[in-house]
Amino acid sequence: MSMEMGGGAPNRSIIAIDHLFVSYDKADILHDVSLEIPEGVFLPLVGPNGSGKTTLLRAILGLIKPRKGKIETALERSEFGYVPQNRAIDPLYPVTTRQILLMGLYPKTGPWRRLGNFEKERVHGVMEDLQLTEHADKTFGELSGGTKQKALIGRALVSDPQVLVLDEPTSDLDEKSGREVLGRLLNLSKNHGKTVLIAHHGVETVKHLATRLCLVKHGTVLLVDAEGMLGEQIP
Amino acid sequence: MTDDFRTLFTLFPHALAAGVVISTTCAALGVFTILKRVVFVGITLSEVAACGIALGMAYHVKPFVGAFSLTLLAVILLSFPFESHRIPRDAVLGVIFVFTSALAVLVVSKSGFGLHEVKALIYGDLILTSNEDLNLILWVLVPVLFYFLAFIRPTLYTFLDREYAKTIGIRVARWELMYFFALGLTVSAASKVAGAILIFCYLVVNPATGLLLARRLKWVMLISVLGGLFSTIAGIFWSFRADIPTNQAISIMACFFLLSALAARFVHRLAANLKRRRKETL
Repeated sequence: MSMEMGGGAPNRSIIAIDHLFVSYDKADILHDVSLEIPEGVFLPLVGPNGSGKTTLLRAILGLIKPRKGKIETALERSEFGYVPQNRAIDPLYPVTTRQILLMGLYPKTGPWRRLGNFEKERVHGVMEDLQLTEHADKTFGELSGGTKQKALIGRALVSDPQVLVLDEPTSDLDEKSGREVLGRLLNLSKNHGKTVLIAHHGVETVKHLATRLCLVKHGTVLLVDAEGMLGEQIP
Repeated sequence: MTDDFRTLFTLFPHALAAGVVISTTCAALGVFTILKRVVFVGITLSEVAACGIALGMAYHVKPFVGAFSLTLLAVILLSFPFESHRIPRDAVLGVIFVFTSALAVLVVSKSGFGLHEVKALIYGDLILTSNEDLNLILWVLVPVLFYFLAFIRPTLYTFLDREYAKTIGIRVARWELMYFFALGLTVSAASKVAGAILIFCYLVVNPATGLLLARRLKWVMLISVLGGLFSTIAGIFWSFRADIPTNQAISIMACFFLLSALAARFVHRLAANLKRRRKETL
């Protein structure tokens, strides 16, 4: 199953999923999924809870091994930026928002290297963009759900990745903040050529933003025109 | 009092030096044990090391060799990612704890050693630190501490968000194993003089004090280390003056420091609330 950007010639495919099966406890979570994802696309993965959206994203990131099939990409691992659900970080850790963002620069800094001016400016810029500056010195546990989510998005953005993979990034945000974040992600795709893959349980908020949606249901995947989904409900 | 301190430093320099090195290393490592919510690892490894020492004593092997061999086995077992399996890590720790505590006592009881040896094995005695004990502690714990501080960044990221750490190229399984290996080495080398209870105290009580008082990792670690040093020196001094067991005196001091921190935090919050209310009234 391949997709094109609205109207023009298809961009080069940067992720190719070929007859992918992923199992957990002998049950197939993903069942014979084939999908080609072109560069620069904004692709929401929509579907009910437990349909396999997160599993598909984790398989793309190489976090789980497929039982069968393969995922090919021309990109390095460091060119992927991942935003997990904000429950991924234990609020007990005494780490500040700034330190959370710095984690995203680990591929450049490694275990020892201090930040250069360019990297410091990058972190500062991302924090300003996401309105995190006033929360820079608060610990992760002190942040509200929405700000935690923004911090995790910021962590993925500081390394300027080619592909952004986000798992329910607006789940803890109010409607206005959620729309803002989605708008920002869309902008990254449209104006900066970033590929954005976003797992989202509600179709209403994303169907106006993308040309195509990836429907994930019972472990299978179906690409549909977003326009065709207007007014329709995801089962 | 000054004379008492001077006498203490003159009579027990080995105990003081060993206490300082053990408390510093355990305090630093212990912060991560608490953050990873695997506090039970500390007491289990201490019991495993005690069992190793007992086996070593019974079969005429050096205590450290016995403790380290058994601890290494436990560490390898614990580094297995139990999160994705039916038996959680805590249950495995519980089984290891029960088995090794019981085995240690059985081995000692059949080896012809008396009650004194059994007590020394379980509780240790810092004041009896010999030159050989101190050398072992210095040779093992100082490199462990330097290693841990040098690689604190990947270790922190591994513990903080395992999945994300994997996506940025951190070999999480390796760093997790190295952390538990460092912990195992520390516990093995310190067990003979510190005993299970004091090691557990250094790994948990002082880091908990740090977490209570500070909001930045570096400050948490610093307070944890300072708390360890304070409780060690004050505990040794108290045991010397009152003629009571040293390790237990240190443990009580550490708990006292923690309770004082708790009280200070409570007073601080109360004062802040009162100040806020007064401001709101005005």
